Amino acid sequence: MIDTYSRHRPFALLAIVVVAQVLLLAFQIKGEHDVRLIRYWAVALVTPLERAGTWTFSKVGGAWGGYVGLRNARAENDRMRVELDQLRLRNRELESQAAEAQRLTALMNFRNAHPEATMLAAQVIGSSADPTSHTLFINRGEHDRLRMNMGVVTPDGIVGKIVEVLPNTAQVLLINDKDSGVGALFSATRTHGVVRGSGDPEPRMDYVVSDEKVQAGDAIVTSGEDRIFPKDFPIGTVESAKAANPFQVIRVQPSARLDRLEEVLVLLSQQEVVFKKPEAPAAAAAPGAALAQPSAANPPAGPQ
Amino acid sequence: MLNVGERSDPNVEVHKFYGGAVPAVCLLALVFQAFLHKYGRWSELIDLPLLVTIYFGVSRRNPVTGLFLGGTIGILQDALSHDNPIGMYGIAKTIIGYLASSIGGRIDTEHPLSRFALVFVFFHLNQVILAITQRVLLNHSAPLFTLRLFLDSLVTAAFAVPLFALLDRLRRPS
Repeated sequence: MIDTYSRHRPFALLAIVVVAQVLLLAFQIKGEHDVRLIRYWAVALVTPLERAGTWTFSKVGGAWGGYVGLRNARAENDRMRVELDQLRLRNRELESQAAEAQRLTALMNFRNAHPEATMLAAQVIGSSADPTSHTLFINRGEHDRLRMNMGVVTPDGIVGKIVEVLPNTAQVLLINDKDSGVGALFSATRTHGVVRGSGDPEPRMDYVVSDEKVQAGDAIVTSGEDRIFPKDFPIGTVESAKAANPFQVIRVQPSARLDRLEEVLVLLSQQEVVFKKPEAPAAAAAPGAALAQPSAANPPAGPQ
Repeated sequence: MLNVGERSDPNVEVHKFYGGAVPAVCLLALVFQAFLHKYGRWSELIDLPLLVTIYFGVSRRNPVTGLFLGGTIGILQDALSHDNPIGMYGIAKTIIGYLASSIGGRIDTEHPLSRFALVFVFFHLNQVILAITQRVLLNHSAPLFTLRLFLDSLVTAAFAVPLFALLDRLRRPS
């Protein structure tokens, strides 16, 4: 090792001295743009290293930043997804509550518009398990002064009558049940008949003679003769009418959405009730027409 | 400065000079070179500092001493010139001094013919180093070899033979 050093020492010294003089020359010589050569060399020597360092730091920093950002984005994505699910659920709840509030408002407006009839709001809590039976259960019962054969209505039209009263619930027989029958008449001609259930979603109107001129869309209202429903309350409209002997076969489209009932009104009075005729022509179309929007005179109230 | 470093081979005969002879000769060579510069072409024809570098390098036969001697002479030559950057001749003379010292212990450098050949070769080597340095660092198109350089090398080598014989008189008897 020492021999090698001694043997190459003169050559190493030569290299050092020559390089020193080259640097001395570079310090004196000016190249283009009046810049010293040694500055050119220094910059040329350092620039690639700086560039490599900058590139390395940039790439490493970018990769690290990307990794951290990606990780944060993933966590944030998971968190936001959970939050989105919660918000969707909340939105559905709010929509449901808004729809319920709208329906209850309509019910309350209807009830306030007819103070002559004592009514109790009830919520539909179930329906019959028998597909051929059109009944439903409400959350009011004997404790709420409900009795058999009380009428159940909505602002749109009649629903049915109470056939079973339990302490806290009651069973309602819908007008399209085959055991149901409601005294009815055509609103325009005042021709009487009976709306009966047929087992189908649409009830029929029986006992209308073939001579009677009936058209689809004719309004059918209660006659009030059964002492269950008030007189002139909407039942539905004629969907189709076929001539037969001796009575026509008339299919009725119920005014109340019997397949989508959620809240109903129970007519507590079994006395004969006659709804007051609305004074304004715009409100004369149907009792439910006045229920569409709440007003200052009839503020919405909660169900009783 | 001339005693710096170790000799490459202790068995090689090393010539010693009277005290102050080496610096005095080097100084005189530089002064004469500057004097010749006043007469234009003579300074280009004969490079006295180069001859002194070769002679003392070959005589001392110590590469370290040779390269420092050549470097010193070259830098002084640059310093005395009016337009050369410092280091131009220094690099060339450093390498020449190193090579002359290295070769001095290996071949016969006492015979006039060998001295002539040695100076002839080192003249062109010196020119090549200068040309490369100028081309690389100064971006000057210096020639590597021309007929004139060839003639100059012959004149310089011929001048070196009696000059070296004259310098031999400055050696101390061994």
